[in-house]
Amino acid sequence: MTHDIGALRARLAAGDGPAFWRSLDAVADSPEFRTFLDTEYPAAARLAAAPDRRGFLKLMAASFAMSGLAACGQPDGRSQEIPYVRQPERVVPGAPLAYASAALVDGFANGITVTTRNGRPLKIEGNAEHPWSRGGTDVFAQASVLGLYDPFRLQTPQHLGRPSSWPAFRAAMTGRFAALKAVAGGRGLHLVTGPVTSPSLAAQIAAMRRDFPAMRWHVSAPTGRDALYEGARRALGRPLETRWRFDRARVVVSLDGDVLDPGPGQVGQARDWVEARRKAAAEGRLLALHHAGPSPNLTSAKAESPLAIGSDGLSALVRDLLAEAGGGTAADRGGPAAAWRARAFAALDAARGSGLVLAGAQAVPDLLAQVHRLNAALGNTGRTVFHTAPVPVLDAEPLDALAEAMRRGEVQLLVMLDVNPVYEAPGDLGFLEALARVPLKVHAGLYQDETAFHCDWNLPLAHPLEAWGDARSLDGTVTPIQPTIRPLYDGRSVPEILSILTDAEAKDGAALFDAHWRSPGEADAAWTARREAVLQAGFFADTALAPETVGAPLPAAAASAPPAPSPAGPARRVEVVFRPDATVWDGSLANLAWLQELPKPLTKVVWGNVIAVSPGLAEREELRQGDVVTLEAEGRRIEGPVWIQPGQAEDAVTVFLGYGRRVPEQLADGLGYDAYPLRRSASPWRLAEATLAKTGRKAPPVTTQNHGTMEGHDLVRVQAVGAVTPVASREALPSLYPPAPTSPGGRYDRERAWGMVIDLDACIGCNACVTACQSENNIPVVGKEEVALGRWLHWLRIDRYYEGGLEDPKTHFMPVPCMHCEQAPCEVGCPVEATVHDREGLNLMVYNRCVGTRACSSYCPYKVRRFNYLDYSGDTAPVQQQQRNPEVTVRARGVMEKCTYCVQRIAAARIDSTRGDHAPIPDGAVVTACQGACPTRAITFGDLRDSGSRVAAAAADPRNYGLLAELNTKPRTTYLARLVEAASATGAAKPGGAL
Amino acid sequence: MRQLFAPGADALLRLALLTAAACLAGIPVVGAGLVRSSYVTGVGVAPDQPVPFSHKHHSGELKIDCRYCHTTVETQATAGIPPTETCMTCHSQIWSGSEMLEPVRASYAKDQPLVWNRLNKLPGYVYYNHSVHVTNGIGCSTCHGSVTDMQLTYRANAFEMSFCLDCHRNPEKYVRPKDQILNMTWSPPANQATLGPELVAQYHIRGGERLTECGICHR
Repeated sequence: MTHDIGALRARLAAGDGPAFWRSLDAVADSPEFRTFLDTEYPAAARLAAAPDRRGFLKLMAASFAMSGLAACGQPDGRSQEIPYVRQPERVVPGAPLAYASAALVDGFANGITVTTRNGRPLKIEGNAEHPWSRGGTDVFAQASVLGLYDPFRLQTPQHLGRPSSWPAFRAAMTGRFAALKAVAGGRGLHLVTGPVTSPSLAAQIAAMRRDFPAMRWHVSAPTGRDALYEGARRALGRPLETRWRFDRARVVVSLDGDVLDPGPGQVGQARDWVEARRKAAAEGRLLALHHAGPSPNLTSAKAESPLAIGSDGLSALVRDLLAEAGGGTAADRGGPAAAWRARAFAALDAARGSGLVLAGAQAVPDLLAQVHRLNAALGNTGRTVFHTAPVPVLDAEPLDALAEAMRRGEVQLLVMLDVNPVYEAPGDLGFLEALARVPLKVHAGLYQDETAFHCDWNLPLAHPLEAWGDARSLDGTVTPIQPTIRPLYDGRSVPEILSILTDAEAKDGAALFDAHWRSPGEADAAWTARREAVLQAGFFADTALAPETVGAPLPAAAASAPPAPSPAGPARRVEVVFRPDATVWDGSLANLAWLQELPKPLTKVVWGNVIAVSPGLAEREELRQGDVVTLEAEGRRIEGPVWIQPGQAEDAVTVFLGYGRRVPEQLADGLGYDAYPLRRSASPWRLAEATLAKTGRKAPPVTTQNHGTMEGHDLVRVQAVGAVTPVASREALPSLYPPAPTSPGGRYDRERAWGMVIDLDACIGCNACVTACQSENNIPVVGKEEVALGRWLHWLRIDRYYEGGLEDPKTHFMPVPCMHCEQAPCEVGCPVEATVHDREGLNLMVYNRCVGTRACSSYCPYKVRRFNYLDYSGDTAPVQQQQRNPEVTVRARGVMEKCTYCVQRIAAARIDSTRGDHAPIPDGAVVTACQGACPTRAITFGDLRDSGSRVAAAAADPRNYGLLAELNTKPRTTYLARLVEAASATGAAKPGGAL
Repeated sequence: MRQLFAPGADALLRLALLTAAACLAGIPVVGAGLVRSSYVTGVGVAPDQPVPFSHKHHSGELKIDCRYCHTTVETQATAGIPPTETCMTCHSQIWSGSEMLEPVRASYAKDQPLVWNRLNKLPGYVYYNHSVHVTNGIGCSTCHGSVTDMQLTYRANAFEMSFCLDCHRNPEKYVRPKDQILNMTWSPPANQATLGPELVAQYHIRGGERLTECGICHR
């Protein structure tokens, strides 16, 4: 759909558009959009060519004649039972068994527990004891279990494209390494790894460097945190980790910050932020978040006052703030930026010593340095802001040095472990051409990726779920990684490969773990007990890094004049901002179908990436959604589809990494565009200038942002902090019907009443719940074409609403699972009673009864029911079928499905209670998958009739309201309104249609 | 002109029509009979097994407790199939040279599991839990029949939905005292009509309406 941006802006400004809107289409409210909504499954009519009358009768006759056949035969194919020969200790067939381990993002750990059944890892849960992640998880951890069973994984070592073996590899390397060592201590040997936070791996590499003093070590970290360390070095004299104490803060100002965004910090930081915000709300104040940055992200989405501003504007802004903090006055530049700065500074000034200014890993180092100075000037350093030693090992060289050495022909043997530099190296390095000059190249990876195609040796890596290891979390806590399954394929871990290369006797992962962590002279029994305790807990106690004191910041170097803008040509010059993708990250996760089909938090785009442009730029350049444009700088060019992104800085376009993979026959191949070629290694997150040009072609991205649109009022609500009047009336609506059986006054009003409360103030839109639900409930992926037809199957979707104008809208997230209405409209619609209530209030879905009329879905005002148009599960690769949860039915074609409140977990708790003394199920015994995954604990679940339960307390909160409660469906899932500052509550809650 | 049909033609036609109608009417009857037959349900048919294990001998005559092999019946969804090691606890000492037990010894020596043919199967969308039944008054034989009398083990009941529902609707007809759970020859005593409801109350069984809710077995 195409829009006249000017008209949309006018409509929003005049206040006759919706107060909360999901897409530009919704603001325009065009006839096409109406049609899209009316045909609930957008393209139900656009099926394959319909048969004519005669063909239809033939098909029907055949279906009638043969319908009986389907009833015959055994109900399922498994007809053998295979017991153990010797049953391992603690393994009970069919029963879940959990292992504590770590999930890695860029080498940083989050504590997890891995639930296995019958020896197969099935589900990732958070590790509640872990000091950094505290029970939360992110999408990467949740999806890692799919990666384990990925049929695209590299399965055997290969030499020159032919299957080989590990002994052959070792034999081939031993001589080479000896020769390299003999000649000048390993000159010509280059090692490339990802960021290393693991103390044991760091020690192994250090030992290797002692053996080969002239060896050079490089780190390829396309989404690394180098800018943060560089910023600290410029301001504080040495690279440091910057950490925040939100609980001590009274205001948070984010300058291109990413505190809530995906990455190594997300789980712990989001938890810190939310807890501080809850604590502040309990004290009757709002811990406001002010955000200014070029590209909207999850942090800006949670900000009370987001400001879209380009990098130049941002550096002027921080300069002004710094001047004001030092007692001076700043130049009055006018415009929204000045108003924002006045507000932010007033708040910071009022809270000197308990303000907090932060910037993110993708900010430019100069900005990061300025933020350090700003915090020092405001007296925040040491109070709300503190520093620790860097978590990763920083003494490796970057990739540029490697590319240079390769070009000069100095590299004799290149070992690349768990990296993919041919794909992820910045375009200006010319990595691939340089690589051709290396005589011997070794690559180890989970997949045969772009780099593998150019290497002599291809080694399969063991998945983190099948290997030993360790890694540090962002707070420094060392987290062990333990195998949860024997390696599915012939893979080895990075430490094992290093051991093959350097040790006289190659050691396995367990031996390497022991060798590093066992104290010298520690007795066997003592070490075994200590190791058990560490593996049980999932972390090494007291290994978090201690805060370091820092001196006064170094003054900024004299600001060089900004480069003069180039003369405007026929094409438009714009600033380019690079961002990792919110679901496939740097591209290394691009083969994971769950992540591909996971809607990006803001754009809701799936199976691809976009070039985000501002509405203003789109208006001036006459860009439409989906127009393919090129971006060109320094002779390198990329092209991709345009996405008009509300809240994008006027002259900055954002490109997303992680797509455009060239991996034939793998899932990721050919999806989206590759942004790496445009990247510059000297400034990886920003290009000051690039040329934007239209190609005239269109490639509309597939997005779910208009799917499942609800029609009603006040879907998203806000409430002033400290308010005691309920945000929505608690009066029962008048009704001619008797109360529903599970409602108060009904037949079952003394039974347990399962219910869920979702805190919209705490929800950061990170999608961890959606992925957890997919993993727990065997939800298949349907593919890009099917998503475009509206056939995706996620039981839980996160609706994203904008509020306000196109330029700096506020953003709201709203997770929408099944509401389990007490008066469920869907149940009225079903002709075969395939969806019915039980007495505890669950709206059950009986797959074996469902005949697929889809009537229930058209009766559902929340649009949370999903239909299996095709047999999406049937052709799953056998290895991937092993991931399926045996406690949940795999649905067939023609069946409706939806959120069940994880009925299998409720059943497990109920059976536990029934088997024993029939004691009531204690509060907290049933944790739904979405609830368990949430890093901010935004979801509460339990028995609403148990007055002591947390969910009952949340339901009694004045912020509690039911979605579309005016329909008298009596939803069991309810929401807590987002908090706003007392003054703005009345303005924001203006009634009006929300789409 | 000669008549085309003999005088009896009408009768023949009527007979043919009648037969055709009877055949048509018979199809559902035969079909219904077929799906209930042991040919389809497998009831009463003992499939080939790697070892001709006799429940009659082990649990009937030697009185080995069911739970010696089916260890998880009181705690897990599945009762559990014994690992080879369980067989070898005795058979490394007795009948250690028996030809019949060669597959067991081979399994233990070569670390290759025994592969048993499955007797009792439920569809994938049915979730049955042994532990909750045997701890609440439902004995093994209610579903599995008199296993202690089975020389070779066979399926005693066709586990169709009506079989489950019968008990879920009227648990008082089937519940037994705790000490009778493992009794394979238990049959309802004469006073089951009074005993049953007492036991149902004692076990806190929630009665027909709750137990027939779809979500109890299907999820």
